[in-house]
This record gives sequence, structure tokens and C-alpha cells, in this order.
Amino acid sequence: MLQAFRRVLVTLLIFLFVASSVKAAQADEGDSGSVIDVMGKVVDHHYLALPGYDLQLPRIMLVEGEWYFYTSTEAALNSGDFVEENGVLVPASGSEITLDMSITSHLVYVWFGVVLTLWLTISMARRYRRGKGRKTEPQGWFQNLFEIVFVFVRDDIAKQNISDEKYRKFVPYLFAVFVSITFMNLFGLLPWGVTATADITVTAILAFITFVLTQWNGSKDHWEHVFWFPGVPPLMRIILTPIEIIGLFTKPFALAVRLFANMLSGKIMIICILGLIFIFADLFGSIAGIGVSFFSVPLTAALYILKAFVGILQAYIFTLLSAVFIGMAAEEHEHHEEGIEAHA
Amino acid sequence: MGLLAAGIGAGIVAVGAGIGIGMIGKSATESIARQPEAAGDIRGAMILTAALIEGVALIGAIVCILLALGV
Repeated sequence: MLQAFRRVLVTLLIFLFVASSVKAAQADEGDSGSVIDVMGKVVDHHYLALPGYDLQLPRIMLVEGEWYFYTSTEAALNSGDFVEENGVLVPASGSEITLDMSITSHLVYVWFGVVLTLWLTISMARRYRRGKGRKTEPQGWFQNLFEIVFVFVRDDIAKQNISDEKYRKFVPYLFAVFVSITFMNLFGLLPWGVTATADITVTAILAFITFVLTQWNGSKDHWEHVFWFPGVPPLMRIILTPIEIIGLFTKPFALAVRLFANMLSGKIMIICILGLIFIFADLFGSIAGIGVSFFSVPLTAALYILKAFVGILQAYIFTLLSAVFIGMAAEEHEHHEEGIEAHA
Repeated sequence: MGLLAAGIGAGIVAVGAGIGIGMIGKSATESIARQPEAAGDIRGAMILTAALIEGVALIGAIVCILLALGV
């Protein structure tokens, strides 16, 4: 009985999510030339979409050494200092915006992810400090789940890829990255939610932190491998050194693009399949639209589950590759001399 | 012209990534069948390699998107 009730509830919830997405997609209809504005749903906005209401976010801009603060885009326009050109704010005086520090929807969702991660880790740390979980077994499903995830990150990601005792230093970073990326990915599945990681700037910053950590903790051997590859003929080094230097930067670049493209493609796919309803309704009348919805809505529900899985998998891959890169840089070899002999 | 190039390019990217990840899946399932007790390690290595291939494919896909949008 309880099982059946739970199943019905879950199904209803999924359909509610899908239905609200349809509604949100419908609201944007007619903004542009095409029936459904796909890119408009995935790019950054200066407002936060809430149920039935768009919360305008503050605009903060630096124009030629002077800061401008407005509570919303509208306030900036009303003040007369800024005019709108092609949907972008430009100063009315004709000069250029030096720095646009406006708070955007993606940034707000990054904050949500960070705050949730902080809340989770700090509350759990307090529990462990009080002795729950250390002297006793972990209590409650939440602490058990936390411990499973933490032990997974520590043992399967950090310990396996970062050599010796060095891995201890990186567990906090890897765990924080894993949890916050998971939160950011999953927020995109909520109705009106925004996938912050479907923005190249967000993922680029995350990859940049990994890059800095990797280089900062690079051992002597790491730098030797970059600039003076051991065990190869001297002429080869002319080719190898530039390749190694480029390799330093392509690793975090691929890291950023992988997460970004995965989350973006998932989002575009859902919008396109739901958008088929409106495209068909526009082309062949509303009956065709209703007909397509019988195909689109279950497919979107399935895609939602797939996207939830992909969201967690991509967070895992990001963390795993971060650990692999850090481990590769921090590793210390002892076999250089043998290598030279083997090649000679 | 850019749209055509993007479409063909996306297709080729999908072919390449499909072959690559398919080969990983093939050898991973074969080795798990041969040595089921090493399934955990093999799965980890499989996901890692698939992610690396996917990275290249996605960079190709991004180039295609940029072509299609005419940026």
C-alpha cells in the first residue's frame, strides 16, 4: 500500500516538474522570431525566475573609474545613465563599460550551491566533533549518506590517484568540488531552476582552481618533465617542451569544456524535445501539438532521470580528473636514471 | 555554409566519439567477463578513459556550435 502510494507520488512529482517546464517554455513563446527560444533558456539572465514572477537582480557596473549601483535593469534605464542597445546596457555618454559586476542568475545559483555545501559540511563537522559518528555509529540516513559520499571521495578518488600521504591535503577540495558541482547540476532540474554549470565562466573558474592547485603542488619532477623531459635525445626536447607547456593548459581547458558542454547539451535537448510540442502546434494546429505531447512528455521525464544521473556522473568525472591531474603533478619519481639507460 | 559545415562536423565528431567509447565499452565488458573480481577497478578506468575521449568530442561539438551560430 505504502509502496504504491509512494510510486504514485513520485510519478506525480515528475509530471509536475515536466508540466512546469512546459509552462515556463510557453511563457517565453513569441519573444523572438521562432516559436521557441532555445538559447534564451540557457544563457545567463539579469533576473531570477521564480514561480510566476521574475526577481530582478542588481546591476553593478564600473564605467571609466566610476561605480554605478542599481537594484534592477529597469532602475538603470530609468536613471538615464544607461541606454539599452540590442538587449545590452551601454552607458548613455557613449563610453564603454570597463567592468560589469552585475549579479546574474547563474551567479546566484553558484551561491546556492556553495551555501548548501558549506551548510552540509559545517553541520556534519559539528556532529562529528560532538562525537556522533566517531565514538558511535553515524546516526540517521543523512549522516550515513554523507559518510558514504565522503568515504567514496576520499578512498576511491583521492587515495587512488594521489600518491602516498599527500592525498590528505586535497580531500577537502575534492569533496567540496564534488558536492557543489552535484548541487549546481541538480538545481537545473528543478522547475524554474538554472544550471549554473551550463555556463563556461563557472566551469572555467572551477577548472582554474584545479589548475592553480596542480601547479602549486607540482613536484620538482613535474617541472622537470615539463621543461627538460628526462630520457629523450636533446633534439626531441625542442618539440617536447612546447607540447608539454601546451599540455599544462589543455588539461584544465578540457575539464571546463567537458562539464559545460555536458550540462548545456542536456538542457538544450530537454528544451528542444518539449519545444516540439509548440513547433508542431504552430505548424499543424493544436491537435498535432497535443499528439506530439504524448510522445514528448514521457521522453522528457526519461531525460530528466538521465540528466540527474549525468549530473552526478559529471561531478564525479570532474573530481576524478582533478585528482588525477593533481596526483600526476605531485608524484615524485625515482627512476629517471634507469630511463636514460634504457633509452641509450 | 557554416550551418552545413557544423552539421557535417557534428556528425563526424559523433562517429569518432562513438567508435572510441564503443571500443572502451567492448574491452571493459570483455575484461569484466574474464575477471569479474576486478570489475570495480575496470569500471573506474573505463569511466576515466571515456571522459577523456568525450572531452575531445565535446571540443569538436563546441566548434560546431560556434560555426552554426556564426560567432
